Amino acid sequence: MISKFNKELKTLVKDKVISPELANKIEQYYATKDVGKPNTLFMVFGVFGALLVGAGIILILAHNWDDFSRTIKTILSFAPMVLGHLLVGFSILKEKSNIWKEASGTFLFFSVGACVAMVSQVYNIPGELASYLLTWTVLCLPLVYVLRSHAVALLIILLSAYYAVQVGVWDYRNNQTPWLYVVFLLAIVPHYWNLLKNKILSNTVMIFNWILPASIAVALSAFVGDDTLGFVTYITLFGLLYTLGRLSIFKKLRTLKNGWLIIGSLGTVVSLMIFTFRWIWEELPSEFHYDFQELFVELVLFISAIAVLGYTIFKNGIKAINLFQIAFIIFWIVYFLLPDIGVLPIVLMNLLVFALGISAIKVGVDTFNFGILNYGLLMISILIICRFFDTGMSFVIRGILFVVVGAGFFLTNYVMLKKQLKIKKQVKDTQL
Amino acid sequence: MKTIHVCIGFVLLALVQLFVPSLMIWEQEDILISGNVYKFKTRPIDPTDPFRGKYITLQYEIDYFPIADTAYRYGDQIKVYIEKDSAGFATVSAISKEPLQTNNDYVEAKVTGNYKNAIHFKLPFDRFYMEETKAYDAEKAYVETNRDTIKNNVYALVYIKEGKSVLKDVIIDGIPIQEYVEK
Repeated sequence: MISKFNKELKTLVKDKVISPELANKIEQYYATKDVGKPNTLFMVFGVFGALLVGAGIILILAHNWDDFSRTIKTILSFAPMVLGHLLVGFSILKEKSNIWKEASGTFLFFSVGACVAMVSQVYNIPGELASYLLTWTVLCLPLVYVLRSHAVALLIILLSAYYAVQVGVWDYRNNQTPWLYVVFLLAIVPHYWNLLKNKILSNTVMIFNWILPASIAVALSAFVGDDTLGFVTYITLFGLLYTLGRLSIFKKLRTLKNGWLIIGSLGTVVSLMIFTFRWIWEELPSEFHYDFQELFVELVLFISAIAVLGYTIFKNGIKAINLFQIAFIIFWIVYFLLPDIGVLPIVLMNLLVFALGISAIKVGVDTFNFGILNYGLLMISILIICRFFDTGMSFVIRGILFVVVGAGFFLTNYVMLKKQLKIKKQVKDTQL
Repeated sequence: MKTIHVCIGFVLLALVQLFVPSLMIWEQEDILISGNVYKFKTRPIDPTDPFRGKYITLQYEIDYFPIADTAYRYGDQIKVYIEKDSAGFATVSAISKEPLQTNNDYVEAKVTGNYKNAIHFKLPFDRFYMEETKAYDAEKAYVETNRDTIKNNVYALVYIKEGKSVLKDVIIDGIPIQEYVEK
């Protein structure tokens, strides 16, 4: 990085854009700027090292050494955890750098898991995988706040999602709901909020921005049934995620760093796309049998999404809202009020996805963002391809539609590129 | 937050982290020392747990109790009361959702089905952890031993105290399964 930067500086001096003195000053400024700051690369290696060693210990202990006596096995199971305690204690007492705290915290996280696992082995404790994951998460959750460790927070988010899915989906003998997942998630929120307030542009925030909504989307499967009502819950969740991603605190972020927005948007489009088919409406139950829990989860998500939406309107005015944010409300209206009126719901869903595509194209054009522009075009193309499966359109019409959409791709990209070049030229002219 | 507060917080957390597995050990040791021992006829099969390693699942011969009662449903938690038969093996004397007035030991179990006038259940001590290379051999050993017509040759040794149980060992032909596999 530095050497490339220095090369650029030399080119600037050679082309007489800046003086050699200024180049020297800039070089010195950057050389001394980061002294004393922890190196990100060290942090990544430290955490990954601890992660691998910790996971390795779990695997080695999982071998179940039959030749060792119960006492030796017990001592062996506690040893990594005690070492972890010493390392974490050392980094707190000596006020070591964040690298120390993150790495030792990660190691302790795994050694606690290894210890509980080993004790379960030695005594053949019959607990299901879910109860083991639960004990592990509860024992390590406070580490997030004691060490202010991002790595442990991320591990907890992943582990608790694993716990939720294990209880609610994979364990067919179990008919419980993992409500504790919600508690774990709420327990992480203050840590995340603190990060958002202080380090919104850091890469750590980006990782949280992706892992958190992904964990929530995965864990929701443990709370819903397997009929079409599950889709309603999911569409509501995606609406909520998207609306959260549009909050003003995320405004400074590039779109790719905002997982809330992207997961919310993709989720909404994919789920709504499914409802543009005829068969899914034919499979709707003739009357709704609500399981109390499902209704509760659905309503909580709906009310939260409406609340966040209301807050956005209150803060930024109604004009700040786009179609993606209210797509779930339109879906609720169609799903619950109009499901029996012939083909109307299917037509409305097609129109909704089409309108979402158009609105994405408009946003792309307005902001000169080729990614969003083509995302919108892609939505419309997929919608049209889907309609090939369940409509009796003639081949000529289908062919024409394809040609039109293909031409649309070329034209919109071309026009926008032209426009962008023109603006760049204008800016250059005014500078000269 | 001051370092001293963080330190206190961490020490408390570390104590809890040490305490929870220690409590698990203490509970198990207590049952092993003062619980009653029973022999449960069983058959082993071989799955894996991603964190805790290889174990054999034990399918017990007593996994149902013949009564016709529709009050028992899939997933219900029940108490299975145990007594010994003339050969010293465990048999079910009664099942109930509420505690019964009896001196027999009981274990907690989960109802897995209610059909053919019998309540089927899953006993809690169905996992026996083994060294990873031996678990599959254990299953094979069982299959081979049972080709002979000798019955009653595979059983689990279980200690029971106040509804809690510890699976101490699995015995094939009179010797612990680990040693049997090594033969």
